[in-house]
Amino acid sequence: MTLSLRQLEVHVGPRRLLGPLDLELVPGQCLGVVGESGSGKSLAALSLLGLLPAGLRATGALAHDGADTALTSRMHAALRGRALGWVPQDPLAALHPLRTVGAQMRETLRAYGHADADARDLLERVQLSHPAAALKRFPHQFSGGQRQRIAIALALCSRPRYLIADEPTSALDARIAREVLDLLDALRREDGLGLMLISHDLPLVGAYAEHVLVLRRGDLVERGATRDVFADPQHAYTRELIAADALPFVGGSSGVGGPSGPSSSAIMGQELGPEGPPTRAVPLLRAEAMRMQYPRAPTPALDDVSLTLHRGEGLALLGESGSGKSTLGRAVLRLLRGAQGRVWLDDVELTALKGAALRAMRKRIGVVFQDPYASLDPRMRVAEIVSEPLRIHGIGDAASRLAKAGELLTAVGLDPDMAMRYPHQFSGGQRQRIAIARALACDPELLVCDEAVSALDAHHRREILALLATLKRERGLALLFVTHDLAAAAAVAERIAVLEAGRIVEIGDAAEVLRNPRHAHTRALVAARFGIGLAAATGDRRNARSPDRIRASCAPREGQ
Amino acid sequence: MARACLLFLGGLALLCWLGPLCIAFDPHRPDWQALSVAPGVGGHWFGTDAIGRDVFARTLAGGRLSLTVGFLASLVALGVGLGFGASAGLAGGWAERLMLRVLDMFSALPFLLIVILLLTLFERSLWLLLVAIGGYVWIDLARVMRAESARLREMPFMLAATAAGASFGQRLRWHALPNLLPLAFVYLGLILPQAILVESFLGFLGLSVDEPSASWGTLLSEGVQELDSAPWTLLFPAAFLVATLAAFQFLGDALRDWLDVHAVPRTDVERESAAA
Repeated sequence: MTLSLRQLEVHVGPRRLLGPLDLELVPGQCLGVVGESGSGKSLAALSLLGLLPAGLRATGALAHDGADTALTSRMHAALRGRALGWVPQDPLAALHPLRTVGAQMRETLRAYGHADADARDLLERVQLSHPAAALKRFPHQFSGGQRQRIAIALALCSRPRYLIADEPTSALDARIAREVLDLLDALRREDGLGLMLISHDLPLVGAYAEHVLVLRRGDLVERGATRDVFADPQHAYTRELIAADALPFVGGSSGVGGPSGPSSSAIMGQELGPEGPPTRAVPLLRAEAMRMQYPRAPTPALDDVSLTLHRGEGLALLGESGSGKSTLGRAVLRLLRGAQGRVWLDDVELTALKGAALRAMRKRIGVVFQDPYASLDPRMRVAEIVSEPLRIHGIGDAASRLAKAGELLTAVGLDPDMAMRYPHQFSGGQRQRIAIARALACDPELLVCDEAVSALDAHHRREILALLATLKRERGLALLFVTHDLAAAAAVAERIAVLEAGRIVEIGDAAEVLRNPRHAHTRALVAARFGIGLAAATGDRRNARSPDRIRASCAPREGQ
Repeated sequence: MARACLLFLGGLALLCWLGPLCIAFDPHRPDWQALSVAPGVGGHWFGTDAIGRDVFARTLAGGRLSLTVGFLASLVALGVGLGFGASAGLAGGWAERLMLRVLDMFSALPFLLIVILLLTLFERSLWLLLVAIGGYVWIDLARVMRAESARLREMPFMLAATAAGASFGQRLRWHALPNLLPLAFVYLGLILPQAILVESFLGFLGLSVDEPSASWGTLLSEGVQELDSAPWTLLFPAAFLVATLAAFQFLGDALRDWLDVHAVPRTDVERESAAA
């Protein structure tokens, strides 16, 4: 009763992208497949599903219930319909936007000869509220977490024995992600589904999977029972993935780059350094009564938010997607049309400036955005990108700007010889370094990072956070760090402001907020983030999933 | 298919420009001894027209003019459409809405009617013709460029430039135009046949170039008048025009497919396979 795939290899032309890899799916068990982007983890899933993009070729031996099936044969096609279900990464892209949920589910149900009425039961099974009404609604009328539940229900329509979930939660914020994973886990336990959970987050997978495979650049670097892998990782890369979840405080003496203990115990235990945030009469950045109402949105994205930031200080704006944290970041930068409120940099009121005067002030603020792939102009060389702010403000000539670009690249840990390359020749982490180098070009006093590490895998996230902490210390930069990740916030910021629904619900010392969260919403965030890593490290799976605790603390959000 | 079309169009251009060097007949000089001669007789491959001019030579001369005017007019449209569309998309807000309304206004005008009026009222010149045809085909191009530019406006690298203090002109020159240019050149292949068609239409109405010069359009209108006595005077220029437009059409389809494939890869798998 198992599905096994032996000697899987994926080639494009003569080049091998993945393998050789053996994997086995067992009903009622969860297999975790972990790796950074480009490691081939999605290729493994798509080979199993027979959905590889054109030009890629999979070879291997597939056996189901003792019977051999050739990959990409007709038998494979029949198998993947009846035995395999697929839960996509982005449910919005996977659901048909113009057809109701019911119509989409009936299509699959009929193809497999099941009754139309099953659709409602399946939606109930995935714990979607008001299943009967949901059948008549369209995908865009649901939230991200609800859409992922619908996608799971859709995968269950063919009554599969195995579910393949490819990064099912990376588009969701931490708390919703936990709920979706708990649902998948319940399906595994109660219905005996075999689960293949693909993720870049090893501690997350560790909390749910019995066995894990760790992939890197198409090679299998580690496999084994989850408990063993966490207790005694054999490969350096695995150790890095496990450790990457643990980010000590910026105030702590060990620094981000230093050795860290197992998972979050390091975070919870460490003290903020004795020197508190420097206080001065005039703060570097002051924002008052910031408001933003997007057109046709029912509630304001920002509702009377004020904040101050001192020189050399790190302030994290923490919140889930939709909490208004990015809106606040952009409003402060004056990159948002229609934002209200007043912003001062030093004693200059930014919100009173226009045109050339405003552009000149922008020298003093650097910005790093989330997506390292989209934040660099693909048609520019790295040297041009990094020195663009200098060119904008007419600082120096071409030769001196090129020299400065080299210096900046060195400062962010890149080889200055790479200056003549184009962005597509770099990895995500390297690109984010380039973006940071550009932000530093005019020697700003303030660096605004808008989810600057959330698109990166654990390894690169750790490196970039270390770099930011170093730059902050050495250059005396003030840091406004917008993030949904508590650990990342704690790694670079002395103070944390927690946002919910456009308001700051809690603000204070980073260590204090994490250790002793006062607001219910903060408590839920802390539980969702640190429960997983803690449990994975200790092997305590019960503790890892404590949805009751989380739900109890944030019950009012259920109806959304 | 696309390659065959390109070869055909290249060959046609070569024929139009180099062909006249190899044939003995002047496209403009009548031969009173050979009026309306059928194709193949007396060395006239495509025959002659009512006043004895060689149809093959005239077809090549017409092609030279049609292709040149079409190409130049497309370049005019490309420049105007790219500049207008890129600015509108990058500006956003009320400026973009205003510029879009201007485009709507141009679309709503019976443009051919205005072109015909212009060409009738004013002294006809190549420049006026280019402006007239370019003005007809630039609108679609401007819309496409506007949409793409609006997408670029929201790209993080554009936000980063704004945040670094770049002015509108700097963002337009350094980021918007370089990123739009490849798309604009692909669209050149799509508006060229339109320009050629409009030129032929005007030529057919006698509003393009004056006698004795000829474009495919003027040849068609002459040919229609001789349809009874010498059908080949219509047939050959028409065949050239149709073949050219068809080749451009297939080429345009291939270009569109190419554009679809070369969209930015987004998902993990696409990146993995693109990296290979």
